[in-house]
Amino acid sequence: MTGSSDAELIAEVLNGNIDSFAGLVRRHQDACARFAMRMLGSRVDADDVLQSAFMRAFRGLRGCKDPEHFGGWLYQIVINECRTYASRQRRREQRFPSAAAAIENAVAPGSEGEVDPDVGGHIERALSTLPSDQREAFLLKHVEELTYEEIAEITGVSVSALKMRVKRACDTLRGLLEGVYHG
Amino acid sequence: MAENYEAEDRTEDAAFIERIAASLRAPEHAQPSFEERLMEQVRSEGSALYPGLGSSDVSWWRRKRVIRLSPLTGMAMAAGISAIIALSGIAIGSRIGAPNRNVARTVQPAAVPDTVQLVRFVFVDSRASSVELVGDFNEWTRGSATLKLSGAPGVWAVSVPVTPGRHEYAFIVNGSRWVADPLAVRTSDDFGTESSVIRVRVPGKSET
Repeated sequence: MTGSSDAELIAEVLNGNIDSFAGLVRRHQDACARFAMRMLGSRVDADDVLQSAFMRAFRGLRGCKDPEHFGGWLYQIVINECRTYASRQRRREQRFPSAAAAIENAVAPGSEGEVDPDVGGHIERALSTLPSDQREAFLLKHVEELTYEEIAEITGVSVSALKMRVKRACDTLRGLLEGVYHG
Repeated sequence: MAENYEAEDRTEDAAFIERIAASLRAPEHAQPSFEERLMEQVRSEGSALYPGLGSSDVSWWRRKRVIRLSPLTGMAMAAGISAIIALSGIAIGSRIGAPNRNVARTVQPAAVPDTVQLVRFVFVDSRASSVELVGDFNEWTRGSATLKLSGAPGVWAVSVPVTPGRHEYAFIVNGSRWVADPLAVRTSDDFGTESSVIRVRVPGKSET
C-alpha cells in the first residue's frame, strides 16, 4: 500500500477500501504537522487541526479534482483549518482581553544584548507575535519553501500581497530577533 | 560605496532570515496515536460515505436518501429559514427608529465591485462611548472597523466590505463589552461566546 501513488490510494478509498486512507495519512501527516505546529504554536492545537483537516479531506475526497496533487489540496484544507482555529482564538482573546494581554506579555522577546541559549524558543515566540496572515505567508515561503505562485494558488492571495506579507514578517522578525543573534 | 553597503545589507538580511527559517524547518511529527484515532473516526463514517462500487449501480449523488427529522429539528430548521428571511427583510426595509438601548441592525445595501459587498452595520446605544465591529471578515481584529456616530443620538454605524457567504460578527462596546447583534441570528463558539450571523448574498442571486 505504501508504494501506491496518492491517486491510486484515493481511487481505492472511493471504491470502498476505507483503510487505504491510512496510506495518505502516513505520507502527509508530518508535513502538515510542521505547518500547523508553526502556525498555532502548540502541539495539542496542531493535533486538533490535523484531525479536523484530515477528516474534512476524507469526507470531501470526491472533490479532489486532481488526485495526483492530493498534497496541495490537503495543504489548502490544513491552511483553512488553521485560519479558522486562529480566528476562534482571536475571538476568545477579544472576549477576554486580560488573558490576551497576559499571553502577549508572555511572548515578549528577550532583553536587548542578551544571548539566550534557547534560540529556537525565541524564534517560535517571535513568530507567534506576527499577524496570522503574515505568519502563514512567511512559513509557506521560507519554511515550506514554496514559490509565490504556488502559495498564491493554495491560499487564493495575490503574489504581490504575499510578497508584502512576507516582507513585513521578515522586518518584524528581524526587529525582534536581532538581539538574540547579534547580542 | 553606498551601493556596496546596500548589497551587503541585502545579503545579511537573506542570511539572517535563512537562519530563522532553518530553525523552523526542523521536522515535526503528529502525535503517535494520531493515525489510530483518525482512522477510527474514518472507519466509523467511511462505509456510509464510500460504500464501494458493488453496492449500487446508481451514482452516489443520485441515490435516494431517507432523511428523518424529529418535529423539534423541523421546527428549528423552519426557524432558521425564517431568521434568514427576516434578516433579508431588515436589509430591504431597514429604517432606524427611536433609539432603544442596544439595538443593532445590519443593513446590506450598496453594491460594490465583483464579489465583495459593502455592508452597513448599525448599532444603537445611547450610553455607548465607543463601538467597534469585529468579525471573521476582519479576523476579529479590533480597531479595523470602528463605528461612528451617524447623526441621530446613540446611533453608531460603519460600512465594511464583506465577501458573499456566511459570516459571524459582534460589537465591542466601550472597549470591553462584547455584544452580539440582538436583531440577527445568534451562534456560539466552543467557549459559549455568542456572536451574530450574517449571510451576504452574491449580487444578482436571490439565495440568502
